[in-house]
Amino acid sequence: MKLYLYGVIDSSNQITESIYGLEGADVYNIPFCDIGAVVSQISQPIRSVTESAILEHQAVVEKLMTDFTVLPVRFQTVINGRDNLLSMMQSYYEDFKDNLDRFHNKLEFGIKVIWPADKIKEHIINTYKKNNKSVYVTGDSSNKRFMRNKFEKYKLDEEFQKKANKFINVMDMFFSKFAAEKKLGKLKSENLLLDAVYLVEKDNQDSFKEAFEHIKSTHTGFKFLFSGPWPAYNFIILPKNSDLLKDFRQEDLFDKLIQHRDLVGTDKI
Amino acid sequence: MTLSSVVETEFPEEFIEEMEKTDDVLPKKIDANPENVEKGLAKLVLTLIELIRKLLEKQAMRRVEAGSLSEEEIENVGETLMKLENKMDELKGIFGLKDEELNLNLGPLGDLM
Repeated sequence: MKLYLYGVIDSSNQITESIYGLEGADVYNIPFCDIGAVVSQISQPIRSVTESAILEHQAVVEKLMTDFTVLPVRFQTVINGRDNLLSMMQSYYEDFKDNLDRFHNKLEFGIKVIWPADKIKEHIINTYKKNNKSVYVTGDSSNKRFMRNKFEKYKLDEEFQKKANKFINVMDMFFSKFAAEKKLGKLKSENLLLDAVYLVEKDNQDSFKEAFEHIKSTHTGFKFLFSGPWPAYNFIILPKNSDLLKDFRQEDLFDKLIQHRDLVGTDKI
Repeated sequence: MTLSSVVETEFPEEFIEEMEKTDDVLPKKIDANPENVEKGLAKLVLTLIELIRKLLEKQAMRRVEAGSLSEEEIENVGETLMKLENKMDELKGIFGLKDEELNLNLGPLGDLM
């Protein structure tokens, strides 16, 4: 009997609500000590990743999130039989427990910000020209001209980074007030100023959202994306070399959701 | 099926575009076959050379800014960096590689360049 694994939860009790997973199968909890592995039976391994399967997987995880702390596992995790599942639970029990304790009562939110990089650069160049910083390299040989161009580019890049850090620090100061943990991705592309994930206490989620709305309203010309609540995809720490919980990033799901607006509510996107 | 997790933005297309730009440049698994193995290896080697070249360049710029290079040294460094850059362009052309392809994702450490 093959078992499709959705996640590990902080309860060894049976799930009282009827939840249906992949292939419409019943979702149930297999207890191990005081935690549990949430599974459904599956007839064969999933060979191709379809959007509907990803969304079905996510729908189960979200239902679990309402009552439990959830460690979401990688999409397409199929385990061959109950004995193998229990053996896996035994191997990772301490790690699962540590993560479940850290994530108790917390949710993950994602924030992405696009800034007007072209305008920022233009402003930097104008300021640079005014201050005539190119005096660092004088002379008119081809080598000197090359160095002067490189030096100008170096200074512009440096200023660009400084400005980015300044904006990110202001935004992060607001968001961090309500977050237990965070991961900041700075300038992943020239336009993508911030790609951040925050782990937020459930009680603070409204305040966190308000902080986001405040930042959004005070940064004209910037473009914002807010996502969540998600289970803590980006904060799981597994000391052992396991790929069990890796590779299913929030971005994978985000890509699917953003392309299927009907699934997330048209008023929201 | 309605999911309770939401993605709120007025600019979905722009975010998709930016996220696509940030996708790993190198695949997580090496797809080595007789046709592409040469290009794959060249990409890896040139990425490392490009990293070293950029580090040298940055160090030179710091020294220019600090005023610790004489006019003659700036001339010599300029010549070296220019030749290095030209050689890299030549090699990229030979293997059909673009600048943005010469990067590596180092996981939690971010991109190499």
